[in-house]
Amino acid sequence: MKKRKERIDRGIKVRSEDIFALTSYREMIYLLAPRALPVVGLLLFVPLFSPYWREIFISTAIYALLAISWDVLVSVGLISLGQSFFYGVGSYVAGALNHYWGLPPVLTLPVATIGGAAICTIALLPVLRLRGIYFSMVTLVLPLMILRLVEATRIFGGTEGLTGLSPFPGQLTEMYIANACLLIALFGFRRLLDSDYGLIVRGINDNDRAVMNAGLNIHWYKTQILFLGAAVGCFAGAFGTHHDMFAGMPGFALDYSIMPIAAAIVGGTGTFAGSVLGAFILVPLSEILRALGALRIVFYGLFLVIFVVGIPEGLFHYIRRKYHQFERWVDVE
Amino acid sequence: MLLGTLIYGFVNSCLLALLAMGFNLTFGISGVANFSYGAIYIFSGFAAWIFLNSAGLPYALCVIMAIGLSATLGVLIYHVVIKRVKGLALSEVMATFGLGLAIMELFRYFDFVGFKYTLPNLIEGSVAIGDVYIDYQRIAVILAAIALTGFIYVFTHYTRTGLAFRAIAQDERTALTFGMDSDHIAALSMGFGSALAAAAAVVVLPLGTIAVEGGYDVLLNALAVCIVGGLGSTVGILVASVLIGYAQTITANYLEPHWMMLVSLIAIAIVLCIKPSGIFGHQKELEERI
Amino acid sequence: MSKQALRVFSLLFFLTLLPGFYSVCHSADPIVLGVPTSLGFLEGKEGLACVNLAVDEINAAGGVNVGGTMRPFKVVAIDARGAEPGVPVAEVIKAHKKLILEDGAKFIVFGSFRSEAAIACMDLVSQYKIPMLLGTAMSPEMQKKVTQDYDKYKYTFRVCLNAVYLIKYLGGTMGYLNKKFGFNKVFIMDQDVAWARKTGDLMISMVFEKMGWQVVGRQTYPTGASDFSSGLMKAKAGGAQVILPIFDMPQSGILVKQWNAMKVPALVAGFISPLAGPAAWKTFDEKIEGAINAIFEIGNVPVKKVPKSVEFFEKYEKRYGKPIEAGHSPAPAYEMVYLLKDAIEKARSVDGDAVVTELEKTDRLGAMGRIKFGKDHQVIYGEDPAENAMGCMIQWRQGKRVVVYPESVAEGEIALPEGLKAVK
Repeated sequence: MKKRKERIDRGIKVRSEDIFALTSYREMIYLLAPRALPVVGLLLFVPLFSPYWREIFISTAIYALLAISWDVLVSVGLISLGQSFFYGVGSYVAGALNHYWGLPPVLTLPVATIGGAAICTIALLPVLRLRGIYFSMVTLVLPLMILRLVEATRIFGGTEGLTGLSPFPGQLTEMYIANACLLIALFGFRRLLDSDYGLIVRGINDNDRAVMNAGLNIHWYKTQILFLGAAVGCFAGAFGTHHDMFAGMPGFALDYSIMPIAAAIVGGTGTFAGSVLGAFILVPLSEILRALGALRIVFYGLFLVIFVVGIPEGLFHYIRRKYHQFERWVDVE
Repeated sequence: MLLGTLIYGFVNSCLLALLAMGFNLTFGISGVANFSYGAIYIFSGFAAWIFLNSAGLPYALCVIMAIGLSATLGVLIYHVVIKRVKGLALSEVMATFGLGLAIMELFRYFDFVGFKYTLPNLIEGSVAIGDVYIDYQRIAVILAAIALTGFIYVFTHYTRTGLAFRAIAQDERTALTFGMDSDHIAALSMGFGSALAAAAAVVVLPLGTIAVEGGYDVLLNALAVCIVGGLGSTVGILVASVLIGYAQTITANYLEPHWMMLVSLIAIAIVLCIKPSGIFGHQKELEERI
Repeated sequence: MSKQALRVFSLLFFLTLLPGFYSVCHSADPIVLGVPTSLGFLEGKEGLACVNLAVDEINAAGGVNVGGTMRPFKVVAIDARGAEPGVPVAEVIKAHKKLILEDGAKFIVFGSFRSEAAIACMDLVSQYKIPMLLGTAMSPEMQKKVTQDYDKYKYTFRVCLNAVYLIKYLGGTMGYLNKKFGFNKVFIMDQDVAWARKTGDLMISMVFEKMGWQVVGRQTYPTGASDFSSGLMKAKAGGAQVILPIFDMPQSGILVKQWNAMKVPALVAGFISPLAGPAAWKTFDEKIEGAINAIFEIGNVPVKKVPKSVEFFEKYEKRYGKPIEAGHSPAPAYEMVYLLKDAIEKARSVDGDAVVTELEKTDRLGAMGRIKFGKDHQVIYGEDPAENAMGCMIQWRQGKRVVVYPESVAEGEIALPEGLKAVK
């Protein structure tokens, strides 16, 4: 007698799918809890930590934003292996504005976000028609190329970079800006992809030629999504620059490409929440591992392998499944 | 100067071809993305060094053992890691990359840093061509590149296993109906690729030191050559190696060494924009762009 | 909300606060010195070893007298990866923040490995008012910042040699070579990092142009490069008599190996980090006869005319069982702990501003000679060990390092290796 696992939706999930969600507190909490968790966690709980851990959570938020940006691009079928391109551009734009013209972060952040995104979009426009792995390869190479270009031409301070940029007024302010932006991006993009517009975007990812058949200009949609994704990445870069008070070549470093992808894969792609969850596991983990000294990156690499091999669908998808469904063994007939 | 450029450019081309060969076999020919390639390359270098200096074995034996060990490692990586995420291209990349990171940093942790980690030259000394001195080791690089290219060409075109590699890459399902075990073949290709990485390591590493950071460069160079040449094409690899190799040497000699790496990166970008499947890659128009 | 939930919440709340209380209660005891550097690199590793050597000596003698109470030093080291190619500056900054915020470091000792990162960290230490003493980073950019904006950047000091003083020693050697052998054609090979490039620039503008040398060519290599054939080929084609290398990566040792294989008829005189230590003779298969290398601070080699340097060198060997290999950093790392101790005792507190004021008044006879800070917070290097700190040039001869320059401490004269003839 063979057995197999059967998954069935929980009663509460079915009940809370419609207007019946309003029938009792249980259903409402069932719906609200997962959404309130990140909000409460980021805005109320995280500030309670020691100053050093707050620092960690700020950089976690930066990586989480980059991971969201990556996920946005994936939603339209563009797999980027070079998130550091967005980070670097955002960081250099903000850094240059602050360093050469002395603009305060209040101005540099929005300018770097919009302007940086425009630069990135224009730079990637020629290769937007490439599909799959070919687009990925271009994005992998692009930041490395700019890195060498800065090194060879010594523009923007060359290898030394731009130092002495203005910091944020205080750690808590900084932290709330980061967390608020993270929440806006998280919920905003989830909402966007649930709209009719998002339907087209996801359609392009599933079958681009079918969407073309429907008479829609997929390149225009791809450009828009690229701009949005790049804007999030550039914001992360601009923010990180003011956080470190430094803009330079490390902005294009491989770390900023690998970490967001790792976060998205560990957390699970396609939901944005997964990326955020992944970042909030990986970045603090890498900090805790610091105690191990040089072994740190060894363990980090191994953790990555174990996560990817152990839960290939991603942690968020796994948790969501457990939340909505229960499993039981049944006989195979 | 001109003669020097010609000769050292050729050496550089052969070196790149040597580095790319193994990566091409696993990634290009049998379609397994092995981003721990650089780590395996470094691993074999250190393995040879340990056999030679700590165990005191003769060098030829060390080389053979290092190659064998790397091949085993490759097969092991396939069975333990890649097999479980096969088909999820990104997970494959992430898992192997993470593993490569762990291997390389483990060497750093055990203090494998410094000048003493060098492999001996196969033959000491140098020879003069005109007024250009070239050491025998560089000539060995040229010979090894030629020999391995020949081997791969014969292997993938005239042996059953080699043909199976290409069959899996072209159409896995059809290959399955012909009775080819895709898992078995993929594991073999990982083993072969790793063995080639080890072979490249023992020939190339005596030119410099075995440094952990070198692993990243190796991966990047291999990727560059494979993309420009066209994934899966042995002829493409050779042409791309010569192109990039000479371009790098010429820029290093007449411009500045800074631009050396930039050249290969720009080459990748241009090729990807114009002909994504590479100079000698098989054009699959619709899969590339829309 | 049920009572149980309330209890769980309050428990969680206290758990998060606990570490904070813990650090408050215990911060009164030892004075924490943060060491954020690249521990994987020779200079970083031996630098930390020297910091520990000095700290253990001080603690064994009872500790530091802070206004009446004796407090020991405690070293917290962190591997900041600051030396790697690409220099992940954000990573280095994070390491500094961890030391300051989490481990309660009152002083940053030794500092970040590369100047790029160290300069970026100057902003950070001024934000927290933590004095920082640098032990490897060499770019004079740091002094410029201290002079330009003293109030902001006064927390940063440098105990090790900087690029400008290195020029003086290298330039002096070049002048000596010119005087003695008539050499006047040089080829420069440097690494693309702040200090090395600056050294190369200054060598051209301050030394070679003034002394009428012909610079045959110059090549700047990215950090981590290990093929120098193109540069050596150019040097040979241009008829250079001297090759001036400026490198600090382990891989750069290959340069000498290639120089030997390609039979380039020129004297190698400059700085290649793996060439500095006593083990170099064996690792290079005895192929470095005649190469001249800079030792950035004495003490890293024992110099007979400065007894303290010999004493320090032997102390290190006794403690760790092997001699100092790095040509840069160990002696300053050892001395800076003592500088801090003296300053803290005079200031009678560990307050950043008070200690900075006392550090500026430093005057100490140590392994590197006499240590005094200039107005720009750089230890002054000169040619007389009784007056200033010192670096020197050594030449490899039959497996031994012979000090050949400056003449005040020289133990022998520069000899040309076989096959190279004087022009004069």
